[in-house]
Amino acid sequence: MLDVKHVSKEFKTVKALNDINFSVENGQILGLIGQNGAGKSTTFHSILNFLQYDGEITWEDKPITDTVFDQIGYLPEERSLMSKLTVEQQIVYLARLKNRPAKEIRPQIDTWLKKFAVKGTKKDRIKSLSKGNQQKVQLICTMIHDPKLIILDEPFSGLDPVNADLLKQAILEAKQNGAAIIFSSHDMENVEELCDKLVMLKNGEIVLDGTVSDVRNSFGKTHLFVTTDWTKERLEQLPKVTSVVERESNRYLLQLADESAGKEIFTKLTDGKYIEEFSQQPPSLNEIFRMKAGAINE
Amino acid sequence: MNKLWIVTFETFLRQIKSWSFVALVLGPFIIFGISMGAGYASANGADSGSKIAVISNEVEMREQFIKTNKSSVDKKVTTVSDAKKAMDKNKLAGYLILNTDKDQIKATYYGTSSIDSSLKTKVITFTSQIQQQLNYAKAGMTLEQVQQLQRQPAFKEKISKKTGTAKIAKIISFWVTVGMVYTILVTYTGITAQEIASEKGTKIMEIIFSSTTASKYFIGKVLGVLLVVLSQILIYLVGGWGGYLIAQKASMTKDIMSQYHTLINSVLHNLLSINLVFLLLGVVIYTILAAFSGALVTKAEDASKAAQPVIMLSVLAFIVTFPFQNHLDALPVKILSYVPFFSSYFMPMRVINSEANVWEIAISLGILILSIVLMTFYISKIYQGLMLQTDDSSFWKRFKRGLSYNK
Repeated sequence: MLDVKHVSKEFKTVKALNDINFSVENGQILGLIGQNGAGKSTTFHSILNFLQYDGEITWEDKPITDTVFDQIGYLPEERSLMSKLTVEQQIVYLARLKNRPAKEIRPQIDTWLKKFAVKGTKKDRIKSLSKGNQQKVQLICTMIHDPKLIILDEPFSGLDPVNADLLKQAILEAKQNGAAIIFSSHDMENVEELCDKLVMLKNGEIVLDGTVSDVRNSFGKTHLFVTTDWTKERLEQLPKVTSVVERESNRYLLQLADESAGKEIFTKLTDGKYIEEFSQQPPSLNEIFRMKAGAINE
Repeated sequence: MNKLWIVTFETFLRQIKSWSFVALVLGPFIIFGISMGAGYASANGADSGSKIAVISNEVEMREQFIKTNKSSVDKKVTTVSDAKKAMDKNKLAGYLILNTDKDQIKATYYGTSSIDSSLKTKVITFTSQIQQQLNYAKAGMTLEQVQQLQRQPAFKEKISKKTGTAKIAKIISFWVTVGMVYTILVTYTGITAQEIASEKGTKIMEIIFSSTTASKYFIGKVLGVLLVVLSQILIYLVGGWGGYLIAQKASMTKDIMSQYHTLINSVLHNLLSINLVFLLLGVVIYTILAAFSGALVTKAEDASKAAQPVIMLSVLAFIVTFPFQNHLDALPVKILSYVPFFSSYFMPMRVINSEANVWEIAISLGILILSIVLMTFYISKIYQGLMLQTDDSSFWKRFKRGLSYNK
């Protein structure tokens, strides 16, 4: 388990992290979200011991030092490899730095290249590969040594939907193998799809923390999707409805001031008859992200 | 320890597999080979057209001349007509007719240009000796009379050869040592700084620092470059030793080698001594400084500029040696022979001149080793901070930020 306790970091006068607390169990995926400059990379750098920070970060109850490095797989935000090496040399070199013997890693390379559908062979030089394929090779370097703690900084950026799916597969596989995974993303769909937990940072502070459904539900089921032949004006007359937006023809999104108004609205709207759609939901992660990012710090 | 060696060997292998290393190592051998080949070809080529023929009715006299001047005479040509034909084909420079006429030796040279001056001297000396023998025989003198007439004044030149050689040996040793230190330092500080700077601020460093500690990586990099230097020195030592053995046996260089035997041996003795340790440690301390300098560039693109400050320091130390090459007992030489970065030039200078005793050498070495240890310790501590930050601020700001970034 990764445990981050009361971690703070200051750069001169800027408070990059302020009393951050969260944990990631083995076999769990945590999504770290936040705007640019919110403190996501600083959090990763603190976990990886690149920075001096206040507080405590432990992996399996031990501080993260070079004895733990072998269990970590880290993908930095921007991609960069040693361009003059071949794919095989690069993968083997980085795996050896994770204490994995070359003879154990070499036979696995072809399988991994296939798994990520890399266009090229292991004998190709890194510089001869396209940007997307280099990114995939870097992902292989992050995962091939079977890490138990995987840290991925913006892993989906620059990947097309097909390749993003391949990465999701690999992340879920690692989760099944018991790895604790933490990744940052701006794409809330990916976070919603993959994560067991999420943490949102804003100006170095945690503003959201919990499972995806807990976080969403904490905002109340104030979003009501209905498909009806009622007019917009009539819908606006319903109790506790603050706004009505027509999404498609006859399909509306009603914003409720209070989620408890749902029952009363249902009764009035259906009048005991069939209705095609009545779906009361909490706001989406995207909306929550926008709300939180835009809000002044509480 | 294991990861340190992985970084060391990766750095080492990447360097020695590069074309620049191959060119660097083979360069001197290729230049040496080409100059030897050119020298041999021109020496051989000059032979055929510069020889002369000797034509004489007196077989004994002709053979006696040929015997003493083998290299200048084409003995196959025996007649004037053959000689003329050979001259037309540019295979002979001319021909010499040797005869005795009324108890007088006559030597006449026919050629397209005047006879080679050294050959002329040889002809005159030869004919004078024959003429003298003939004169003594005709005069009917006793042996005593002959000996009396042959008496010559005595002139002797006594040169203390040992001191002379030792002085030249010192000068040559000085230049070879200083030149070697300078060349190796400039080459490898450049390579090291570039190697480190090219990784500056790249995300691959984050991946590496999530696999091993910055100090292991830094020391591994420096050791890798040092292994490359050691390989180069080893190749030169083996190549040089081979060349020395060949030169002693090869016909072209055998004479020179035996003539300058003492000189060459004392130069080698001066080089293959404690000076080699100073050279190696000099490379170590400059390499560490170059690595540090490489880590201080703003971004990887500035790699080519990274070595400048270190190369400047090396050039400075090199130039400062010039005024002192004949004043090795001067106070600045003594002081600088203890100062790291300068001692690799100045202590060998003192050692060559037997100006330094064992204690002085030991103290200088001690200071150098201690500086290396302290520098390695300090730089490896701040290395991670220096390598991970990429801001475009001034040198000192980057330096200070590097210090604060890390533990």
